[in-house]
Amino acid sequence: MRYGMSFRVGVDIGGTFIDFCLWNEDTAELHSLKVLTTPATPGAELLRGLEILRERHGAEPEQITSFVHGTTVGINTVIQRKGARLAMLATAGFEDVVELARLRMPEAYSLFSRRGAPLVSRDCVFGVTGRILADGEEEAPLDEESVVRAVKAAQAKGVDGIIVSLLNAYRNSAHEERATAIAERVAPELFVFRSTEVWPVIREYERTTTALINGYVHPKVRDYLDNLIGGLKARGVPAEPLITKSNGGIMSAALGKRNCVSMVLSGTASGVIGAAFLARQARQDHVITLDIGGTSADVALIVDGQPQYGLGEKIGDLPLYIPTVSVTSIGDGGGSIAWVDDFGVLKVGPESAGSDPGPACYGRGGTRPTITDAFTVCGFLGQHELAYGALRPDPALARAAIETVAKPMGLSAEAAAEAIIRIAISGMFVEVNKLVARSGVDPRDFALLTFGGAGPMLGCFLARELGMRRVMVPARPGVVSALGGLVADIRNDFIRTLFADAEPAEGPRIAREAVSLEALGLTWLREEQRFAGPAQATWFADMRYRGQSFEIEVALPDAAVKAGDTVAIADAFHAAHEAIYDFADREAPAQIVNLRLVMAGSPPRPAMQPPPRGDGDAVPERMLRVFFDAGWHEVPLYRRAALAAGQHFAGPCVVAQDDTTSCIPPGFAAHVDAMGNILLDVAE
Amino acid sequence: MAIDKVTLQILANHCRAAAENMAYTLYRTAHSTFVKETEDFTIQVLDAAGHTVGVPMDLGATWYPGLNYGKAIAMLEDYRPGDIAFTNDPYSGFLSTHVPDLHMWKPIFHDGKLVCFVSGHIHNTDMGGAVPASLSRALTEVHQEGIRFRPSFLYREGVLNQQLLDVMLLNVRKPEQNLGDLKAFVGALNTGERKLREMIARFGTETLVQGLSDLQDYAEHQAREILRSIPDGDYFFSDFADEDGPDGHPARLAVTLRIRGDAAELDFTGSDPQLTSSLNVPTGGNPRHTLMLVGVYYVLFSLNPNLMLNYGLTRPFTCILPEGTVVNPSFPAAVGMRSLTCARLRSLMFGVFGLAMPERMPAAPAGSSSIVNVMTHDDRTGEAMIAAINPVVGGGGGMPHGDGTDGSGADAAYLKNTPIEITEAEVPIRFRHYGLASGTGGAGRWRGGLATKMEFEAFTPNTRITARNRDRCRFRAWGILGGGPGAPSRMLLNPGQPHERVLNNVDTFNANPGDIVSITSPGGGGRGDPLEREPARVLRDVVCGYVTQDAAEADYGVVIRGEALDEVATEVLRAKRRSNAPLPHFGFGPEREAFERIWDKDAYGALTEILADLPVHWRHFVKRRLMETVTVERGGAAAVRAAWDQLFASLPQLRALAARRMAAE
Repeated sequence: MRYGMSFRVGVDIGGTFIDFCLWNEDTAELHSLKVLTTPATPGAELLRGLEILRERHGAEPEQITSFVHGTTVGINTVIQRKGARLAMLATAGFEDVVELARLRMPEAYSLFSRRGAPLVSRDCVFGVTGRILADGEEEAPLDEESVVRAVKAAQAKGVDGIIVSLLNAYRNSAHEERATAIAERVAPELFVFRSTEVWPVIREYERTTTALINGYVHPKVRDYLDNLIGGLKARGVPAEPLITKSNGGIMSAALGKRNCVSMVLSGTASGVIGAAFLARQARQDHVITLDIGGTSADVALIVDGQPQYGLGEKIGDLPLYIPTVSVTSIGDGGGSIAWVDDFGVLKVGPESAGSDPGPACYGRGGTRPTITDAFTVCGFLGQHELAYGALRPDPALARAAIETVAKPMGLSAEAAAEAIIRIAISGMFVEVNKLVARSGVDPRDFALLTFGGAGPMLGCFLARELGMRRVMVPARPGVVSALGGLVADIRNDFIRTLFADAEPAEGPRIAREAVSLEALGLTWLREEQRFAGPAQATWFADMRYRGQSFEIEVALPDAAVKAGDTVAIADAFHAAHEAIYDFADREAPAQIVNLRLVMAGSPPRPAMQPPPRGDGDAVPERMLRVFFDAGWHEVPLYRRAALAAGQHFAGPCVVAQDDTTSCIPPGFAAHVDAMGNILLDVAE
Repeated sequence: MAIDKVTLQILANHCRAAAENMAYTLYRTAHSTFVKETEDFTIQVLDAAGHTVGVPMDLGATWYPGLNYGKAIAMLEDYRPGDIAFTNDPYSGFLSTHVPDLHMWKPIFHDGKLVCFVSGHIHNTDMGGAVPASLSRALTEVHQEGIRFRPSFLYREGVLNQQLLDVMLLNVRKPEQNLGDLKAFVGALNTGERKLREMIARFGTETLVQGLSDLQDYAEHQAREILRSIPDGDYFFSDFADEDGPDGHPARLAVTLRIRGDAAELDFTGSDPQLTSSLNVPTGGNPRHTLMLVGVYYVLFSLNPNLMLNYGLTRPFTCILPEGTVVNPSFPAAVGMRSLTCARLRSLMFGVFGLAMPERMPAAPAGSSSIVNVMTHDDRTGEAMIAAINPVVGGGGGMPHGDGTDGSGADAAYLKNTPIEITEAEVPIRFRHYGLASGTGGAGRWRGGLATKMEFEAFTPNTRITARNRDRCRFRAWGILGGGPGAPSRMLLNPGQPHERVLNNVDTFNANPGDIVSITSPGGGGRGDPLEREPARVLRDVVCGYVTQDAAEADYGVVIRGEALDEVATEVLRAKRRSNAPLPHFGFGPEREAFERIWDKDAYGALTEILADLPVHWRHFVKRRLMETVTVERGGAAAVRAAWDQLFASLPQLRALAARRMAAE
């Protein structure tokens, strides 16, 4: 792969818009673009966007040396339940692994709570005989006849593909591999995936579901990527397209056709990667990212400049058990609907106007009041254009919608609108609080980095509620996810379940497994990704005291792992345990459940060109009438494009730009940093 | 004066945030399986009177949103900043309702004034006493159930009472687990205090205190709105636990629900006398005791998903809990297994509200969640170990517009299982089966949820297995409005082998290498006439193995050949089955019908009167003797009175007792 020269393009598809980031490698200029999605002809808007980039910025197809793409085709397939018809081979006696799930229902207090349907119907799950034990030993050999029978039964059901997921295969995948080979022989017309090829982790329900998701989205993702690869080639783009991954990395689109599951949550992940890049550039180490669009609101933690990773992110109620950038949903974004209950209490959500019809003020058929309508009634929106001129909220429509909740509460429209904003913020406060409690951090030590179309609109209000002292609005908040693709590492995760005590006798085994994992990682990086730059190997272990029923993640030094230095490994565990629980029992035996490797390579990144410098106070374009703190106020409207690095201004004010509007209440002092970020600090 | 409705909603959110924050802190830092896997803990924000105002929705058990700490709080005086109080004694304020549950509360002061409390409970794996884990239905008095602490200060002005803690740790079997969870719990309370201080700073003390009160008014309003939508009337229902102790007779729970406008009375007269097993539910007669109202929370929340969960919900309800009965036992009755009885109390509520508003209520959920523990030795290390295996949970009842959920749901929806792969890696047992049990859901227009079946093989000698909360092996989860009951639960040792043993409700036994333990939960009840279920849906049930082909024909009147529907034969069969006779409201199944032919409502009425007249310590004895004597069908009250006269005549002690009481009057 070649880097340097000419243009790099990052593309991210959202619910309403497709976002483009164009990086001119020669001038270090960054351009952005939003194009409305055309659900009828997916992919067409992508080519249209490239055409506009050529016209506006001279990016000829043959000059595009890197093309990184995040797509929602995978997640939409799962959410809309429009994927492949699957069959599954399971260990006989345990066929109901996905019917039972983990038992717990989404709503503990409701007698009517239920989970969504599994991705494989019960009549398409077939037991095969043979048993691997928890230590990897074979108790009963695989009955190959039972596999043949199961595959033929699956064929008779008319399925598109087969998932093979057997008990304890994370420890010994021999039966899964053999069953897969038989399935491929007996039914060559079907695709086959086995759970241990997708992600070989202990916990049968989570591993099986992850493999099912992979198979479920496979045909749609494969066709989409084939079209993408073909379309770019036909246009004369020389770059082999890359796709963004749920783990915040990138990989070649060709690999994504089989490794579908690793791109399912790529949209939210690349947003966090882009945000982490911008935060590091602005020297903000501890950041909570706030990404709000028309239909979603997500937060993530960045600690010491690094995004956080975890297992078990959810798609609906299905766990996706692969390492993923941890992102937490805190609501449904600007489209959340406000309503009044019979006690006269105002509520916001959980219903959402979504992108269709969207907020009332968009004039696309919505009549119920949303958060975006509330901001419009208060005058923050609707007095200037949004989203590259594609939208201009209509204050009259917003007001009519807000009146429907204002009347029963006996409030004026603008008072009701302000109440909606305050209640929406307090709802998000609940969710962010859960995240910080889960992570054991204090939000007051963090800055809030807002992006997405509505992040900068709500960010200051949420920061105030959380007691956070600083808010950062990057230069192009609307295309941070697209930018994330451009700055991401090539990255993949590898795992080996060991159940090894951290004692000297196990040292050689740990070292052996580490060497073999690393070889696997290097093969992936060098041969499959054809990456020639320096390789970075990072080691983690999931560890616990022997007999404890849960593990904690421990970062391990490279040398200790490869030398099988169990003293150093145990020390790292005790220290991590002490950090979480305030104590460590150094006498008790520590155990490594899983050894994990992150293999990454960083493509060289050109510097971004800083904006022009200015100084003194920023000059407003004009004054706006805006409602807050129970009254109308005249506040300055600033144009983002006219702000220069080094300039100062203060809330209350509104900053308008093509891709978002920043609403800045009183009490915030703003300055534009060297990279063009607006930093908003709570005045002392 | 009430605070404005906008501030109220914001305050509600902050209150919930504080509770969620505490719950996540506890969950993140706790150690034991009970907290980590079973999530048997709760968290509350209380007002200054000790009434629950805020609870978490994401984590923990569902029993205590209406909990009142008032009595326990009042047993201590002179609260100061930095104090943390605790109790686990079921008879001190009736807060903790069995000994393993440790409740703690921390007062929060501002400017020298007590503003509110933060509180919660954890279920300790063991609190000492006669048996490991402190719980067995065979225990007869609370003294056997572990070490108990009256309300006491664990921390006084921030200083730990180490001596008191040492007494606890000396008396329990796994002190390191208790200590680990206790530390996590204290950490969560301190987090809660910080959050409440932030709320005081944001809202001001006055608004906060008023808001905590207004939030309860809000919940009360919501509960009353729901009651107003239910027709006024008296509704009677009873449900039975299979056994009132080892090898026992059925234990009856009965309630008369009297709905008057926006208020309701729940009269538990007719429920069994206080038992000599540990199935008693300690309430102290508190007319709004949370354990009596757990079923009510489910009913209210199911009807209004925006319900505020706090003490205000309990205000429209008044429980009548006769003293010396299973729902108000006198000290020192054992109470450890009150969770089994609580499951029946919940189905009792679902049944009686189902009578009052049949169009809105589901059939009975499976209603018995066996918590299975294995005590064994690990041959690899020689160490003794206790491990929790999966809870064996059954499906939900048929709903007004859908099937009951399979394998879990309804009032067991908060339980989680442990992956088979994790258990096999840690415990020397091997699973042979874990899945849904076909054909176990009650038939109906909307089918009952399926049972789960779990089988495992023991590998070391004298593997001690406990399966708590075993019930519904005899009396099934009932169907409603023409729906059939779910299949009963089963527990077997070595099923299908010559040395098969039926264990059913036995809650403790030993297994040896090669022994196979098989547990099948109950299935959920069905709702509505099975003949009304669309044939295509029945076909799919059969193809997917939820319903057997035979049952499709026998229960649903649907004829299936191969994997295809025989529409003509189905129509003929269904036409033949349909009758004009009204459908029974409940489908209890043959076992309960047979029992109630002997012990009908009149017979129970006589029994209740006889027992109510006796001193508490005589009641269970007399109940058992009468149950043994009265065996003829349709004898009614007369048969019971005759048996009583005979018993009375045969026991001079009883006659002497009666004479003394007459003289005293």
